[in-house]
Amino acid sequence: MMTQEHPRLRELRFTLQRIFRNPSAIIGFTLLIFFVGVALFAPQIAPPKYAHNPYLMPHKGYSPTPKPPGKGQIFGTTSGQYDIFYGAVWGTRIAFKIGLFVVGIAAFVGVTLGAVSGYYGGIIDEVLMRVTDVMWAVPTLVLAMAIVVAFGRGLDKIMIALAMVQWRWYVRVIRSEILTLRDQDFVQAAKIMGVSDAKIILRHILPNAIYPVLIMASMDMGSMVITASFMSFVGLGAPRGYSDWGQMVALARNYIVGPPDDPLRFWYTIVIPGGCIVLFVLAWNLIGDALRDAFDPKIRRR
Amino acid sequence: MHAFVIRRFLLLVFVLFGVSVLIFGILMTFSPERRAAAYVTTPQQAKDIPRLIQQFGLDDPFYIQYVRWMREIFRGNMGWSLVAARPVGEAFWRYLPVTLEMNLFAAPIVIIFGIWLGTVSGIHRDTWIDHGTRIFAIVGWSLPTFLFALVLLMVFYGYFQLFSPGVLSDKLTMFILDNPETFKRFTGMYTIDGMLNGRLDIALDGLRHLVLPVLTYVIVVVALNMRVMRSGMIEELSKDYVITARAKGADKKTIHIKHARRNALLPVVTVAGQLVALSMEGSVSVEVVFNRQGIGWWLAESATQLDMPVLMCICLFMGIVFVITNLTLDILYAYIDPRIRLT
Amino acid sequence: MTTLLETVDLVTNFYTYEGVVKALNKVSLVVDHGSTFGLVGESGCGKSVTARSIMRIVQEPGRIEGGKVIVYLDEKNRQAGVDLLQQSEVYVEGLRGDQISMIFQEPNAALNPTMSIGDQVSESFLFHQKKEMCAKILEDLYALECRVFYPLKKFQQAVYRLAARDPEALALKILDRLPIVRLWRKRLKKEAKRRSIEIVGKLGIPYPEQIVEQYPHNLSGGMKQRIVIAIALACSPILLIADEATSNLDVTIQAQILELLRRLKKEVISSILLITHDLGVVAETCDRVGVMYAGNLVEVADVKDLFIKSLHPYTKALLEAVPKLSMEGTLKSIEGNVPNLVTPPPGCRFHPRCPHAMEICRKEAPDLIEIEGNHTVACHLF
Repeated sequence: MMTQEHPRLRELRFTLQRIFRNPSAIIGFTLLIFFVGVALFAPQIAPPKYAHNPYLMPHKGYSPTPKPPGKGQIFGTTSGQYDIFYGAVWGTRIAFKIGLFVVGIAAFVGVTLGAVSGYYGGIIDEVLMRVTDVMWAVPTLVLAMAIVVAFGRGLDKIMIALAMVQWRWYVRVIRSEILTLRDQDFVQAAKIMGVSDAKIILRHILPNAIYPVLIMASMDMGSMVITASFMSFVGLGAPRGYSDWGQMVALARNYIVGPPDDPLRFWYTIVIPGGCIVLFVLAWNLIGDALRDAFDPKIRRR
Repeated sequence: MHAFVIRRFLLLVFVLFGVSVLIFGILMTFSPERRAAAYVTTPQQAKDIPRLIQQFGLDDPFYIQYVRWMREIFRGNMGWSLVAARPVGEAFWRYLPVTLEMNLFAAPIVIIFGIWLGTVSGIHRDTWIDHGTRIFAIVGWSLPTFLFALVLLMVFYGYFQLFSPGVLSDKLTMFILDNPETFKRFTGMYTIDGMLNGRLDIALDGLRHLVLPVLTYVIVVVALNMRVMRSGMIEELSKDYVITARAKGADKKTIHIKHARRNALLPVVTVAGQLVALSMEGSVSVEVVFNRQGIGWWLAESATQLDMPVLMCICLFMGIVFVITNLTLDILYAYIDPRIRLT
Repeated sequence: MTTLLETVDLVTNFYTYEGVVKALNKVSLVVDHGSTFGLVGESGCGKSVTARSIMRIVQEPGRIEGGKVIVYLDEKNRQAGVDLLQQSEVYVEGLRGDQISMIFQEPNAALNPTMSIGDQVSESFLFHQKKEMCAKILEDLYALECRVFYPLKKFQQAVYRLAARDPEALALKILDRLPIVRLWRKRLKKEAKRRSIEIVGKLGIPYPEQIVEQYPHNLSGGMKQRIVIAIALACSPILLIADEATSNLDVTIQAQILELLRRLKKEVISSILLITHDLGVVAETCDRVGVMYAGNLVEVADVKDLFIKSLHPYTKALLEAVPKLSMEGTLKSIEGNVPNLVTPPPGCRFHPRCPHAMEICRKEAPDLIEIEGNHTVACHLF
């Protein structure tokens, strides 16, 4: 066993070394650690006002005009006097929730289905591929919107809808990887030795096919947050006053242009939640990019 | 070749059938009561709901309703759009030109710019050009389209007062509405119609309103194209035939343009389908933020107002566009790559 | 015999993520006019890198770090020679494919899959024989049987006269930028294609007119290798470098290709630098042989001397590892592995595997010394 595990561990160490020599990975992981910290310590950083639902942003008054950063609200308040700082902090938790839930489910479903259909082929493969073909024909955002409309509005519905749409990517990626691996000698050798199919898939094929999935999952963590925040922005997601970055941008929408003498007066209402989205997505994309460099056999070792 | 096209065509029909079932299935999760409620406008009419369900057969089995729906669609009746306050079919042709216009301007920029930048950064790998385009790509990839559009609007409309949202200035819109016989709507696209009618001011105004949407769109979409082209170039340049060409005495320019770029374009053609999907999603965000009343805007509005016939129609339309694009791309691919042509 | 090519202390390193791979460690070899020089060694010992360094086509991340590649191509340079590593890229581009050309080991990968065979062979002519071809076309244009629309003929004559004088003229570059006028090149391309068909036919490929219209994937491996050879021989080079030209082909085709090379050497080319790991091929075709080990040239000798009285322990081991008909019992193999060239062993790079390793071998790298007439070896034993 030891001798079998060893090369893979060495491979992993080598890969990790490659990743952390890449400046984009360092920036990405730093950003990510920062966001994880904020998400974990959200109750300490911004103590919730409403015990029953900490995700509701506290607000003082109902005036639609945003207030600039100052005492009490260090990032100012957005339209409806919601505290931007509070929203930014608790929005981190929402973003992680969206990303982890959607990518986790989509990747699990996609990898399982893709592995089974790629490995066994035949009827299962044919049926599954035709289903993905159909799913493939409608863009993610559009299909997810239709599903959200059918299920009813809400952040949880958006998450379910995105997971229902996004698995098709993983199926295709893992299947094409497995199709090339399936006929390679080491898999054939394992088959001849009488190793069970499940074991072959889990121990021999998946570890070699998983890298593109990891890269895509990392990129998806970002893009799913973008899509979800857009749906919130349009008004399909979180209700008003919820600490969701997309919803906060929606609140600020009418204030992108200030009064004529000071057109950029309300910049903070959009730049802060928007900046949070961009940095969060950037963190995942930088990591994904570094992973791609580290795993790409064509680029590495040269 | 013919067999290939026919097979792909059959697949196209199958996929469209699948999409229609899928979309219909999604919207059938509504209870009959909720769907009937779409026809009700005042609380007094609420008691009519059971009658409406009876009348339209809303509680029939799935396949009966599906067949009925398909039959109506083939007759050209796609239902009534609440958002547009007119039949879906008619509204569709009204909104399509706006979306089409934007894509018409953006697509060539995306393609040419993406291929050019990708080629350059692939050739000058690991130099500052490459790192620059890479940062550009990652940042472009991380920018939510709607957010970038909002920021552009904030700066260029709010601060510089250069470009305003919408499709055309109010004054010119009023002029066109008042003079339907002097200003003929040939295509529905203001830039083209303006020129055809000899009204350069309208064409230019339409163009001015296109600057920000196209800019947003290009920056967000070009990244994919560029990265695929770059990795294609790097891969091709590391292949043995490049050494053969060098050993022949080929200069760098010949190798890059005649040998590597042509082959590196192949993967770009394969992701062009993704680009189309991406641009459809992009046009939703861009149109919502810039308040351009096109297909994407219509979709978002319909989603918030539960305008189901519109959702179905747009999903089907996007499915058709996507599948036809992919068919075209496959044929194009076979044309570019001689390895496929003869098999 | 006069020297054609001489490398002096050639050093090539590859800068990989794992460290610097010292692929060539001061390789010095001499190829004479009219001779066939064989370069043998295990895989990864630096044979191909030597060839590519000579051609100056080492790919990223490799770099030629030092030494000289001196060629004595024409009368003018007979005496002093030209150091290719000191020349401009343009100068070397002019030599590649014209005076020095190369055949590659993997015919399947060596051809561009999306370009027709004819186009790929024509390129050689278009790069190096523009002048001659333009002159030829000009002659044809003046010939009586040439029927072209009169003003067009005048125009073409003018253009080709210019091109025959100076193919890189500014005026031609401007013409190439203009649509339609650009079509003057058609005749040039046609001529290049005619020449390609000729050379392809010469190499014993049946129906060359049809073959040049094909794409690489339509041809068999042996056929592709012939095309690769055709590309290399298009401009009748003085030196041909054959990098494992026959290794990936089956035995019968291998024999055909070797026979072809031998014939061509008599007729067209002057010298061949044959790179192979097959000692049988060396014995059959070469005049002189160099043995490489881990980036070093360890022994150089005439082919007979090498096989009969080899000196270096590595050469001996290599010869013993070749199966012979008369042999009984098990085949001997060389103990140990090829060293990692990122951290090569100090001193003589062969000492960890050498049965005669001494104290000095671990410390000092041996120099190539001449033992007897034309037989040099790098070993502390001598």
